[in-house]
Amino acid sequence: MFNPRDIIETLANNVKQTTSPFGIPKFMVNKWFKDLSLPKEGEYMLITGLMYQFAPFIEKSTQYLEKYEGTKMASLLKYAKYMPGYLSGIGLAMMTSGKEKKDAGQPLKDIALLLQKSKVDFGYRPDLDNYSGILLYDMGDQKGFVVHAKKVAQKLKDAGIKKIITVDPHTAYAIKELFPKYTGISFEVKSYFELLDLESKDLGLEVTIHDPCFFGRYLKLSDIPRKVLGNLGITESEIRNKGEFTSCCGGPAESISPSLSNEIMGKRVEELTICLGNLKKSGADVEDLSTLLVRHI
Amino acid sequence: MTTINLDFAEELKEYSDDTALECFNCGTCAAICPLVHDNFPRRMIRYIQVGAREKILENSDELWRCLHCGLCTHTCPREADPGEIILGLKRFVVANWRRS
Repeated sequence: MFNPRDIIETLANNVKQTTSPFGIPKFMVNKWFKDLSLPKEGEYMLITGLMYQFAPFIEKSTQYLEKYEGTKMASLLKYAKYMPGYLSGIGLAMMTSGKEKKDAGQPLKDIALLLQKSKVDFGYRPDLDNYSGILLYDMGDQKGFVVHAKKVAQKLKDAGIKKIITVDPHTAYAIKELFPKYTGISFEVKSYFELLDLESKDLGLEVTIHDPCFFGRYLKLSDIPRKVLGNLGITESEIRNKGEFTSCCGGPAESISPSLSNEIMGKRVEELTICLGNLKKSGADVEDLSTLLVRHI
Repeated sequence: MTTINLDFAEELKEYSDDTALECFNCGTCAAICPLVHDNFPRRMIRYIQVGAREKILENSDELWRCLHCGLCTHTCPREADPGEIILGLKRFVVANWRRS
């Protein structure tokens, strides 16, 4: 386990200096929309919160943290906060492969396509699409979170945004529940799958669904992806912990302790063993809901 | 020797709702926590109840093992909201670091 103080102060400094917890400039992170011609206005504004885009950088930094966890090198992390955020961020961005960065944008393209197919009137403006600050909140840097969240919320309010579509559970929770409480600014927030209206099919497929903690427990949205899948004729195989009682995947512990994160992920996979085995036999793998849906519309 | 601070629960009100005293230490939270580690989060809540402020600061690293998954809060029979209590303790510890 790393010293939490070293990790928190590094993340907090990065957010303060660059608005990104990893210090990576936004233009290097957010590229998924560039070859799509999405409208800039609509009834809803799509706000990704950059979480999908951060995924390959999180994976790369976790690989390094995993290497040094429990070694003498771990104590050197306390000096990271003295490094300018952009410098470490650009370094991390350069160490992450182009393919991984490109792949991370695919679910967002899929989500945009699903919304278009469902005739949802939405726009996308990259200048308004910012990180929500949720990691600072989860880590207990309440002051840092509130300062950041106020800036993000105010920018959206100033642009006249009232209705927002989010894509990941953490950003959805931040904008829907935390922004009104800590910034005083409220929006009508929908997770993208709440707005899907796809043509019915009878695919006769079965999948295992892993509910993220924030969708299952905090936002209580588990039934909606099941309805969307059911409409396509995709049923769910029974697993032990799901919906409001879903098991954590271990992701939030990645930065403080990659080994703990792996241990918890291992427990979750054990609960899914039979299903995973079947999925593997059919040649499938774990994938995002949007990827599965796009393949079958 | 452990020093007891009788005003600790009051001090914590700045960081989270005052629900720790609702807890009767049944251990449901510790049983369901994916960490399955040394009576977490029950032990931390007990420290609040008895005012063991220094014990929390000494063992503060443990707080960041919490994944904020919410299972403890969802299953607590006393609605003591253990997940938010742990989040409040993280805020308390971070504020302490920054003051020191």
